[in-house]
Amino acid sequence: MKLLGAENSPEVQQLLIEQFSATATTIGGPPEIAVDRHVELAKILRDEHQYRIFGFVVAVHYPTRVKEATEAGEVIRVSYGLRSVGKGTRLASWQLCVPVGQSVPTLVYLFAGADWQEREQYDLVGVRFDGHPDLRRLMLSEDWQGHPLRKDYAIDTKVHPWR
Amino acid sequence: MAVDESYRTYSHPVYDFMMKVPGLDVMTTTVDKILSYGSEASLWIFPVATSCCGIEFMALAASRVDADRMGAIVRGSPRHSDVMIVAGTITVKMAPRVKKLWDQMPEPKWAIAVGSCAISGDFYRDIYSVVPGIDTFIPVDVYVPGCPPNPEAMMHGLLRLQEKIRASASGRDLNREARPEPIQHQRLPRLPILGDPSRPSDLDRQQVASAASLGWWDELNLDKALELAASESANESDDEQKT
Repeated sequence: MKLLGAENSPEVQQLLIEQFSATATTIGGPPEIAVDRHVELAKILRDEHQYRIFGFVVAVHYPTRVKEATEAGEVIRVSYGLRSVGKGTRLASWQLCVPVGQSVPTLVYLFAGADWQEREQYDLVGVRFDGHPDLRRLMLSEDWQGHPLRKDYAIDTKVHPWR
Repeated sequence: MAVDESYRTYSHPVYDFMMKVPGLDVMTTTVDKILSYGSEASLWIFPVATSCCGIEFMALAASRVDADRMGAIVRGSPRHSDVMIVAGTITVKMAPRVKKLWDQMPEPKWAIAVGSCAISGDFYRDIYSVVPGIDTFIPVDVYVPGCPPNPEAMMHGLLRLQEKIRASASGRDLNREARPEPIQHQRLPRLPILGDPSRPSDLDRQQVASAASLGWWDELNLDKALELAASESANESDDEQKT
């Protein structure tokens, strides 16, 4: 079985399929795993597969209008990528799919580099990270209302008093 | 006395004294000229360089263009400076900081907006995080257009500012005004977002088809998705009619 997200090495693909029952998604991107086993996967990749560098976390909001495409309602999809120097492979990546309003377990306690990246995703998309020690806005000002990279964020939202 | 005093509506002891001594009014205009020469020939710059215009601004201060020969020295503190040169995009988060720095500058002070981002926001104008022009919150004396303007253009802006200082010292009315609030329709998005009733249904189809042509949505049943979306919007309009 070949999953979408061909950037994963065969070893990681096998791990994802056999231990974490990863599935390909209809919208593409890396393979999807269950939210509650997410930290476990990151720990295994870090300790046993030498993926010690936190690459990225990217969240995308899928509104109700395209819910038939995702078959899960209004969701936020969160993709992760880890990098490895010792392995010589590009990255190990997977994605989670959570309904809007549900939080995702944080990876700060495994990778210190996840700190600001999770704050950025919280700031722009509004996905909450469970257990993050300091989940504040990173890019926008402290008193900002809403999360601008949500698809339902009106582009002409008035920002007092400079917009 | 040469000066016509009939239109005077106020009085001040110093002014009365000046008017009484013959030749003193001529002397004060001379002093005014000397003071304005001092202002225009020592324009110390406080740079707010936030993007690529800032790189061009560095060339303004460097040896080829050399703003120093006009007495324009770049200073790192707003309290030493006369001119604030805003070179670059100002975001909503940055704007209060710029305003604070502007308020810390002592009078007399001037502001130059360098580049189209500082002037109007340019193509970042409609973005949620960008201020559409710095003259929405501080008064601007000289606009230097360009994307980015070259250092000679910035030098020309400095010369225009000197002209302006000279003119205002000779009594011409050159008050600055903040630009009024930008017009509402300029901020609306060019394309209606998903779920907007004014969004044409053809646009959905085109966008999904272009995504499918890149191979992203292989297993997506496009026609079914669009049918469901259409029935959803029909249901919504039914609900509206009922209410």
